[in-house]
This record gives sequence, C-alpha cells and structure tokens, in this order.
Amino acid sequence: FAGLADVSISEDIPVEGEITVPVGSHSPDEDYSTLDEPVRDTILRDLKAVGKKFVHVMYPKKSSTLLRDWDLWGPLVLCVSLALMLQGGSADSKDDGGPQFAEVFVIIWFGAVVITLNSKLLGGTISFFQSLCVLGYCILPLTVAMLVCRLVLLAGSGTVSFIIRLIVVAAMFGWSTLASTAFLADSQPPNRKALVVYPISLFYFVISWMILTFTPQ
Amino acid sequence: RCGAGGGSPVPAADALPPQVLVDDTEDVSLDFGSEEELALRKARIRHPLATFFHLFFRVSAIITYLFCDWFSNSFVACFVTILLLLSFDFWSVKNVTGRLLVGLRWWNQIDEDGKSHWVFEAKRVPTIAASTEAEARIFWLGLIICPVIWTVFLFSTLFSLKLKWLALVIAGISLQTANLYGYIHCKLGGQTSISRVTSRFLVTADAPKRQARRISEDRIEEHGKTTTR
Repeated sequence: FAGLADVSISEDIPVEGEITVPVGSHSPDEDYSTLDEPVRDTILRDLKAVGKKFVHVMYPKKSSTLLRDWDLWGPLVLCVSLALMLQGGSADSKDDGGPQFAEVFVIIWFGAVVITLNSKLLGGTISFFQSLCVLGYCILPLTVAMLVCRLVLLAGSGTVSFIIRLIVVAAMFGWSTLASTAFLADSQPPNRKALVVYPISLFYFVISWMILTFTPQ
Repeated sequence: RCGAGGGSPVPAADALPPQVLVDDTEDVSLDFGSEEELALRKARIRHPLATFFHLFFRVSAIITYLFCDWFSNSFVACFVTILLLLSFDFWSVKNVTGRLLVGLRWWNQIDEDGKSHWVFEAKRVPTIAASTEAEARIFWLGLIICPVIWTVFLFSTLFSLKLKWLALVIAGISLQTANLYGYIHCKLGGQTSISRVTSRFLVTADAPKRQARRISEDRIEEHGKTTTR
C-alpha cells in the first residue's frame, strides 16, 4: 500500500458509509438468528405456542418450559370473547353497550397488572409479562363457564338454572385459581404464598361475579 | 460522468458534490449474477408485500378510528376491529416487516433460571435480497408517524370527553411505541443511549440544509453569468 500514502480526499466530499456493530457478543448465529426464516414458519410457530398454552391451562401441570415463552395472544382472544358475551346484560343500558364492554377490558387488564405488581413487590422471581400471560390464559375456564351460562339462560331463568349456573361458575372459578397458583405461587418464598394467592382468587372472584349476575335483556 | 445535473454548462469545481458511483446505500458486491438477480438489485422495493402490510394495518386502524361512525353504529364492533388491527400490526411489524425491510429484530427471552432479558438483533451481512433505501425510509416513517397520530387522538379524546375510547387509544399508543422503542434500540445496537443520539440528531439536522442552500446559490450565480454574456 505504499503508493496510497499520498492520496488525500478534499474537504468537501462527504465521506459516508455504514458500520453495523454486532449486537451482543455472545449470540451464535445458528441458535439465535431467526432473521431469515420464512414468514409462514413464524406464524405457525406462534400459533402452536398459543395452542400448547391453552392445553396446559386445561391440565395444569407445573412445567417451566410453558412459562418461558410467554405471549399475550391468548389473553387478548379470551378477553375479547368474554367481553362480547358479557355485553348487553344490565338493566339500564340505554346505549349500545359501550361502557360495559370497555369496563370488562379495563377490569381484566388492570386487575392483572395490579396482581403482577403485587407479586413483584412481594419479591417474586417471575417477570412482568410472564405473570400477565399466566393470569390471562387462566381466564379460559371462566370463559367456558360464561358460554355454559348463556346456553343455560337460553333454556330458562328460574331457580333451577340459577343453581346450575352457580355450580358451574364456582367449579370454573376454583379451576382458574388452582391453575394460576400452580404456575405463580412457586416463584414466591413459602411464607408468602397466601399473600400472592389471595389477590388472584379475588380477581377471578370478581370475574365470576360478573358472569353469575349476568342477565340478558 | 460530466455535467452532474444536466443543466449547468460549466460546473464549478467545488459547487456540486460529484455523483459518486454508489447511489444507494447497499454494499457493492462484484458478482455478476443472473438477470433476475440484477433486476432484483435494481428494484426500488424488493419486498412489496411486506411494505404493503407494514403500512396497511396501521393506516387502517387510524382510518377506522376516525371514520367508525360511517362504518357501523356499534361501538363494540369498532372497538374490536381496531383492537384486532392494532394487534396484527404489532405482531407483523415486530416479527415480519422489521426483519424483511431493515434486517432488525427484537424479542424477550427467559433463561433457565427465570430471568428475562431483551434481545436486539441486527443483520450484519447484507444479501442480494437486502432492503433498499426506499423500503427503509417507508419503514421508519410508518414507525414514527403513527404513534404521533395516536398521541394526538389521546388528547382529542381527553378534551372532548369521549372517554369510552380512552382504553383503545392507550392500547394503540403503547403497542406502537413499544415497536418504535424496540427498533430504535436495535438500530443503535446498544452502544449509545437514545437520548444522546436524539440530541446529536437535533443539533446536526440543519447542516444538510445549509449545504443545499449554498449549492443552489452557486447555481443561480452561474446561470446569471451565462445569460449576461
């Protein structure tokens, strides 16, 4: 390169280029580089993860792999379907059910956020979005209960149907609480488990109450 | 090449920056491939479907929010539609269009011992199907303008007291700002902080304007010289 020693660039030619700095020196390309996979793989992978989580809620066994890749699609779908089914149920709704729909949303998401903050303040090791994911997925039994209640109410709304609905909702409430505590309570030290389980059961109790007191117009 | 702009007959020595051989931002790799590779390299937009979908969900969410009264009377239908559009937009920008249009990706990963950390990944070696400048510009413009629009909606909702839309607007802002923040983080590569980069950007933002003004003044000067001859 001896001949290039006296090459100089005049001042007003902008010299520009692009330097890409590798992010994080520890990631090998084979494992972490999902940058080049086709789009269909991405969609299928995410759909399978959502389906697997639904199955895990129905049969709650403690598995740490379930918690590791969290997603919020399941909670979103469950929340929307529950809010749609709970719509139009109060006696004084004169408009198109607007505030009640948004109310259900706000109760579910705000309640889940508060529970997560509570468990983090109590010193839990689970992360914020993981906890939201578990709480959201465990609304599945209550959504099933809502469906059953609506079907029972189509048949009639007397005392018998109320007793049936009460039993179904109580059973699903117990299932939801057990499923979520199976995942969440383990991340706490043992003398704090009750402090974590109580807000969760309160949360699902409020949702069960909304489901039980639903009367269609 | 002579006569860069094709207009002035006597280009001054230092008025215009010479048209450099690289006129877009891709690396020049000297393999003379097949015809389709050359066509692909020359195309201004290489991933038309990804570009379309990047803008489609965001813009439809905004349009549906603005004109929901025309589409349907029901608040619930509009709410659910806009929420689904925002969610699809979030997923597609995060997982698909980011890596196809600008080669960046970010996600959250949880270790064996339960600790979560955020990973920001950037593509190092541009391939033949790498993104062009037009695509990158569309990507970043779409990414920046839409959260600003949703913030405007937030203030209009608050001041007109249509509070039933508040939850939706807040959801929209948080989803789109999350993508914006994640991609800015990817772009910076974790080397400099975001505040330092924005201050540098604001300080040097008027340097190109000054240079352009100088160039146009020189052109006018030369043109004046030739007509009075």
